Amino acid sequence: MAEFKAEVFQNEFLAEGATDVHAVVSVACTGAGTAGQSGHGEAAEIIIVDTSGSMDMPASKIVAARRAAKVALGEIVDGTWFAVISGHSVAQMVYPSHPGMAKMTDVTRREAVHMIDALRAGGATAIGAWISAATELFSQVQTAQRHAILLTDGKIEGEPPSALPQALRAAEGQFQCDCRGIGSDWVVDELREIANALLGTVDIIAKPDDLEADFESMIRTSMSRGVADARLRVWAPQGSDVLFVRQVAPSVEDLSAKAVQVGPLIREYPTGAWSDESRDYHVAVRVPVAPLGNERLAARVEVVVNDEVMAKSLVKATWSPDANLTTRIDPAVAHYTGQAQLADAIQKGLAAKAAGDDRTATVLLGEAAKIAHDSGNEDTTRLLSKVVDVVDAEAGTVRLKANIERADEMALDTRSTKTTRIRKEP
Amino acid sequence: MTSEELTCPACAAPIAVGDTFCEACGAQLSGASSPDAQLPPAEPQEVPVAGAPAVDTTAPIPRTVKSSAVCAQCGGRILDDGFCGTCGQKARSPRDHWSEQPAAWVGGVCDRGIVHTANEDAMALAATADGSLAILVVCDGVTSAPHSDRAALAAALAACGQLTAVPMLGATSVAASVNYWTEALQSAANEANSAAVGVAHTMGDPPEPPSCTFVAAVVAGSLITVAWCGDSRAYWLPDAGPPRQLTVDHSLGTELMASGKSRAEAEADPAFHTITRWLGNDSVDHEPEIASQSIDGPGWLLVCSDGLWNYASAVDEIAARVSQLSATTGSDPLPLAAALVEWANAAGGHDNVTAALARCDPSLRLQQERTSGG
Repeated sequence: MAEFKAEVFQNEFLAEGATDVHAVVSVACTGAGTAGQSGHGEAAEIIIVDTSGSMDMPASKIVAARRAAKVALGEIVDGTWFAVISGHSVAQMVYPSHPGMAKMTDVTRREAVHMIDALRAGGATAIGAWISAATELFSQVQTAQRHAILLTDGKIEGEPPSALPQALRAAEGQFQCDCRGIGSDWVVDELREIANALLGTVDIIAKPDDLEADFESMIRTSMSRGVADARLRVWAPQGSDVLFVRQVAPSVEDLSAKAVQVGPLIREYPTGAWSDESRDYHVAVRVPVAPLGNERLAARVEVVVNDEVMAKSLVKATWSPDANLTTRIDPAVAHYTGQAQLADAIQKGLAAKAAGDDRTATVLLGEAAKIAHDSGNEDTTRLLSKVVDVVDAEAGTVRLKANIERADEMALDTRSTKTTRIRKEP
Repeated sequence: MTSEELTCPACAAPIAVGDTFCEACGAQLSGASSPDAQLPPAEPQEVPVAGAPAVDTTAPIPRTVKSSAVCAQCGGRILDDGFCGTCGQKARSPRDHWSEQPAAWVGGVCDRGIVHTANEDAMALAATADGSLAILVVCDGVTSAPHSDRAALAAALAACGQLTAVPMLGATSVAASVNYWTEALQSAANEANSAAVGVAHTMGDPPEPPSCTFVAAVVAGSLITVAWCGDSRAYWLPDAGPPRQLTVDHSLGTELMASGKSRAEAEADPAFHTITRWLGNDSVDHEPEIASQSIDGPGWLLVCSDGLWNYASAVDEIAARVSQLSATTGSDPLPLAAALVEWANAAGGHDNVTAALARCDPSLRLQQERTSGG
């Protein structure tokens, strides 16, 4: 039986007249079990492999994709509903052959592997059509938990620009989707849009040889998510504004736009499926001013699974005349505020660079280098160092490198949202 | 939590059989062995008169500590987590703010103030309806010693309970009356000290034992007798004539002023509030000092903690404040006590605030005696 814990990190003390309350709510899940086996419904997996013409250039991409898809099938637990889609100008069924889903058994796995071996490249990249097809397939079986992997090597072409947003609107809330780009000819923003809408991750696989291990770990993670669907239920007092609810670890994902109003003072935010893991959320609420000495709740944050409250935490606000109390910033709030700024600075910096504004790019990437250094985010520091020469990390002084590998720039972009956990006791 | 487990009737925190006070909110637990134990509502309590048998000292002191399911701020519903479901306001713990009015002429308010997160002040009041006897006790827990809120409440309740059991004295000389109440107050201070020490014992005698100040005033006929340890104060504020501070703080502040410093200079010294006498396990001297005052005309007896007098330290200032506020509130002590607390909070509420008052009016009392004596 899965258990959740929620812990609040905040400075509850507000100065006279202050209204903004910030808190980091750390949520941990244990005993999640295995996908589809919690007794609340079955699980389903769809693997979408790009088979557009470019996957043959070089051929190592389609070869790697076939291998990775087969390894993924090996990780899907028996009894799980599954399907494999070949994506080009249209979405084409690979397995099963008719548009539908199959139950994973030794036999169906062997048959699917056989069909994957026959995959050939050719055609355009109509990702919107692929997503729509997956939505349709998932709707054909009664399952509690639906997950897809989408692999592509190129940017969308061969369908109107409205196709993807339309497909995502229909898919949102229906399944989660992890996106992978192979090579460096795909568009980070396109895959990020899909991952954001469908509560998934996005990453670059620069070398085709790395694809197999990545698919294996993605499916393994998905199969370990025994909690099909958890929601953050946030109560905020009358007259308040929820400024944002943002996942801040393991990566920055703003959930604000996904809020569903479920009561006059209550909103729910989808967080998708959970394995044994912990995630941190930054909650910011603007509350009505109360007199000095008053203690109030700024938010009740609950973890809800199947309409049952699994964990609850209280975000408080206490107005105090004591400046020693009110001027302190909680270390977790400060850390994750910095990590969100880091992601923002990288994305805006790279966008400026792409637009030819090297001056802005240098300033923003310098700011990013400083935050990454100060917060001990070594992964991001390493990725940054392939795009800029860091002159002085503490001052945030950098120079853009003369020759930047496109894949390095894309890796920095896609992984900009990865955060480090706050360092425990200094 | 099973239904068999006992909970505090005031704040619903778990309690143990035999607990006298709730560990969470400090509320007095009467008949704590029953989970349904409710503190009785405030109502006048008969205090024995001369010749009558003493009342049962185990009877609870009248008080209005009742938890509420309705938010005092917005009228919303208080949820299980102790906060309002609409505006988020924390449900006020009865220990943080309560008032008592045992008789029409005696009332008080005990409040957490603005800055402190706990109310370590306590008060206990008792009075006869006919104006012949009132007991006003205020204790101020020492903030630096943890759980002093419990010591203060235990001490105040113990002293008040002890004094309500003292038989009234028949007609006698003023000197004999002063002696009589001096002894009663000394004995009450002893009880109060034992109660504070008892709190320390239940906590395993911590190195910094919970402790508190003590001031108890008895109005018996036309005589006020006061006993105190520490810097909680009693004032006699007659409607006509000069006001008088009955107590002299047992504090370094008093010593500073005795050594020739002005009030302003002494109050600016950080040591001003360091008390030199208190109740508790580490008290070196809990022998109370005694003072008395005869009531020649109508006036207010004010018993208070330093959370109130900090904002009007000189006797003329507090007298002026009481006079000003009572012009609006009239002769009812409860609204005046509430107004005094509100005024201290408006001035910053830097400490817990307690104001207990008795409206003494010899002419009214004589009238009543004539009517009831028929």
